[in-house]
Amino acid sequence: MGYKSVGKRVFRVDARSKVTGKTLYPQDIYMEGMLYGKTLRSTVPHAYIKVDISKAEKIDGVAKIFTAKDITGENHHGVLLKDHEAFCEKKVRRIGDPIAFVVAESQEIAEKAVDKIEVTYEEIEGVFDPIEAMKEDSPKVHEGQSNLMYEYNLKKGNAEDAFKECDVIAENEYRVGMVDHAFLQPEAGIAYMEGDKVVVCVSSQYPHFDKLEIAEALGIEESKVKCLNPAIGGAFGGREDITLQIHLALAARTLGKPVKAIYSRKESFLAHAKRHAVIMRCKTGATKDGKLKALKAEFIGDTGAYASWAINVMRKCGIHGTGPYEIPNVEIKSCAVYTNNPFAGAMRGFGATQAPVSYEQQMDVLAEKLGMDPIEFRMKNIFRIGSHTATGQELYESVPLDRCLEAVEGYFKGRSSDICKADDTKKRGIGYAASFYGTGYGNGFPDISVGEAELSREGNINIYLAAADCGQGSDTIMQQIAAEPFKSDIDIINYFSRNTDMTKDSGTAAASRQTYNTGNAVRIAAEKLKNTLLEKAKEQLGLNTALGLDISDGEIFLKTKKEIRISLKELAEKMYGAGEIEAELVREEATFIAQTTEMDQENGQGCPYWPYTFGAGGIEVEIDTATGKLEIIDAASAQDVGRAINPELVEGQMDGGFAMGYGYAVFEDLGIQNGRIKNDRFSGYLIPTAKDTPNLKKFIIEDPESTGPYGAKGIGEPVLTYVAPAILNAIYAAVGVRIYELPATPEKILKGLKEKKKKQSV
Amino acid sequence: MIKLNVNGKDYELEVDGTKRLLDVLRDDLGLTGTKEGCGEGECGACTVIMDGAIVDSCLLLASRCEGRKIITIEGLEREDGKLDPVQQAFIEKGAVQCGFCIPGMVLASKVILDKNENPTDDEIKVGLSGNLCRCTGYNKMVEAVKRAAEIRKEEK
Repeated sequence: MGYKSVGKRVFRVDARSKVTGKTLYPQDIYMEGMLYGKTLRSTVPHAYIKVDISKAEKIDGVAKIFTAKDITGENHHGVLLKDHEAFCEKKVRRIGDPIAFVVAESQEIAEKAVDKIEVTYEEIEGVFDPIEAMKEDSPKVHEGQSNLMYEYNLKKGNAEDAFKECDVIAENEYRVGMVDHAFLQPEAGIAYMEGDKVVVCVSSQYPHFDKLEIAEALGIEESKVKCLNPAIGGAFGGREDITLQIHLALAARTLGKPVKAIYSRKESFLAHAKRHAVIMRCKTGATKDGKLKALKAEFIGDTGAYASWAINVMRKCGIHGTGPYEIPNVEIKSCAVYTNNPFAGAMRGFGATQAPVSYEQQMDVLAEKLGMDPIEFRMKNIFRIGSHTATGQELYESVPLDRCLEAVEGYFKGRSSDICKADDTKKRGIGYAASFYGTGYGNGFPDISVGEAELSREGNINIYLAAADCGQGSDTIMQQIAAEPFKSDIDIINYFSRNTDMTKDSGTAAASRQTYNTGNAVRIAAEKLKNTLLEKAKEQLGLNTALGLDISDGEIFLKTKKEIRISLKELAEKMYGAGEIEAELVREEATFIAQTTEMDQENGQGCPYWPYTFGAGGIEVEIDTATGKLEIIDAASAQDVGRAINPELVEGQMDGGFAMGYGYAVFEDLGIQNGRIKNDRFSGYLIPTAKDTPNLKKFIIEDPESTGPYGAKGIGEPVLTYVAPAILNAIYAAVGVRIYELPATPEKILKGLKEKKKKQSV
Repeated sequence: MIKLNVNGKDYELEVDGTKRLLDVLRDDLGLTGTKEGCGEGECGACTVIMDGAIVDSCLLLASRCEGRKIITIEGLEREDGKLDPVQQAFIEKGAVQCGFCIPGMVLASKVILDKNENPTDDEIKVGLSGNLCRCTGYNKMVEAVKRAAEIRKEEK
């Protein structure tokens, strides 16, 4: 391929400061004279409130207590609909809604004052089940508004009629619950004044959008807000909605002093969004030759008390409802419903993680009914080049799903679960799943990234880019992409990404869009700068044209006579001069806009995402039939990446996505009852540990996407989507028990075994 | 007043009864490499080495650490800037993502190797099982600990 920087296992640029403990997360920032903030949150799910702060504000050391009446701008925020209040004024809609923010001289005083605030709750009947919530006489979470807040309909062909021609039909209901991102760094931040500008340091997936929301809530101009994005301790979608940004900015601006706040783990569970719980009803039919014929599906998503990304998540869930298969007749309805549960929003996969739990189990159910090998059945139906999705979008290149499935099948080939059987109570089985993922905001919404490249005075390349590195490694990837036009390694790059005053908007670090979208923006900016520099070199070298000039490792040279050359350092000296009057640096800007189209309102037809990314997983489990306990024996993931900009980082995403999918399938349960999260600590909310997690065989499948930077596609979310269904299919392969509701706990597996035994004895 | 040795330096500190070792390290000594992830000893982000063993500094009252020798992540990098083999291996093997668990993971890994020069995959996984990571899926951390064992041998 001949790339200099792209495709290399470059060490992460942030690794050294992280392994030495020098990296600063917001909780690690201490300022002279800073005050401490603590949030008072609702303890009931649905109530009218009256707040009395008179006793609390008299406590020695309390600087001020902020409530709704202290908001200087609009008392609202929200990524799409502005349905969150910065402080609830009259009504709370969920446990954890913010009511007040105490600012005091110490953390202890702030906590004491929070306890002294008197809130009178006049409780209203709550609604916690999305199906109940859709009924006309149900309590309304947002007054005067239907709880059914979004509906997407996808129609292709005629599913009802097509079922009549099907030889086998599978009809099942699957349920997935809300889960938490459980990133390791709880929310924290510090805000302070810099002249008349308020500076807010909170780890965020999208600081430029935080800036807008802060300015609007404070009623000030955007130019009076600066967001600094310190190190982000994991995000996975959980740092897209505002948590403490507005509270901190308001307090710092009102009091004129630095204000810091750190959430406890428990508060973190209360403060950010959850993955949407979805009820998935699927009827899927095929003919006896193994061709899928029809799908009728309904996805009902519980978005809890607020919209957050509900519209986009449930739209994505519906669009991905077919799985990566050509089905000529499709009827999908996907909706989002308000309840008084914790609010749901973005979480890795964004609707495309929930859907495979239904469609990939349906595939195995149908394959069994047909007496067909599950991989063979999939192969007959998968998307290939020239396929059309259910929304009518043509997949004209980079569709290597066949290779993904072949890779995982090949890995397990020749192994028989019977031979693997350890003893009588333990049974082993291998399960597979495939999935697809549409990149970007989607549905015709402008998906824009802006990047800038500049020649520094020292002859290096300055890159200005707002992509948030949440841990996925964008700081490293973007530098690799930016260095490539200069045929250099990343040492040539100075990278600036954490300050909204220094960078232009690159959109959010979400929807697996940074490598593709922002990667393209920085690639184009770097190429533009390179061409500008070749022109400048032409002048310095006294040539008639830049034709035949090339660059590598910091030197521009004439390809036909390499002695004719100038280093970027010399060029910078010549261009910028060494005198007192310093010339402005040469900077190039580039914008990349992804291509999607808005879907038809009636039938959901259109080109909602681009590009699509494909993947497959194979997992071998062992079930102890005496205890229901599950152990993963071996696992393989195969991920289409277009091109791997950095294979080491791709593997890191595959490992991490696998562990998250494993947790989703088997462990993670918030235990939500009547809107209350029971498992709001790591002692109750179990995520996989090193001991639980098996070694994962990773296949990186390269099939360059011509619109991607050097062919790359984003994979942060796709790597997770096939994991849970592969585990569920493996459970069935091992013991013949189908799990319809996550997580697949030992209790559910045992219950399934008992029911199976009962059926057999009848 | 308590006496502590942190990263080879002796300290005499005034601490009130409720202060945790974690608070003393972060707030009083400015050693913010030690993180708080849960405050209940479940996640291991606050791991430090005390007299050769890993402890959760969020569970320990500072007043109970009289005379103890403590190593935090800041104590691993040598004065000439050379990294501890575990730190080096974590970089080489791509075991770092968001980084919030990393100080604890690095210290837990060091103790695994201090006690056992040639740990198996399973021994490493057991040794790291008190430290949660949400990003990496642990695979590359296990590889890093094995790589660190090699570097330690090369250095001998």
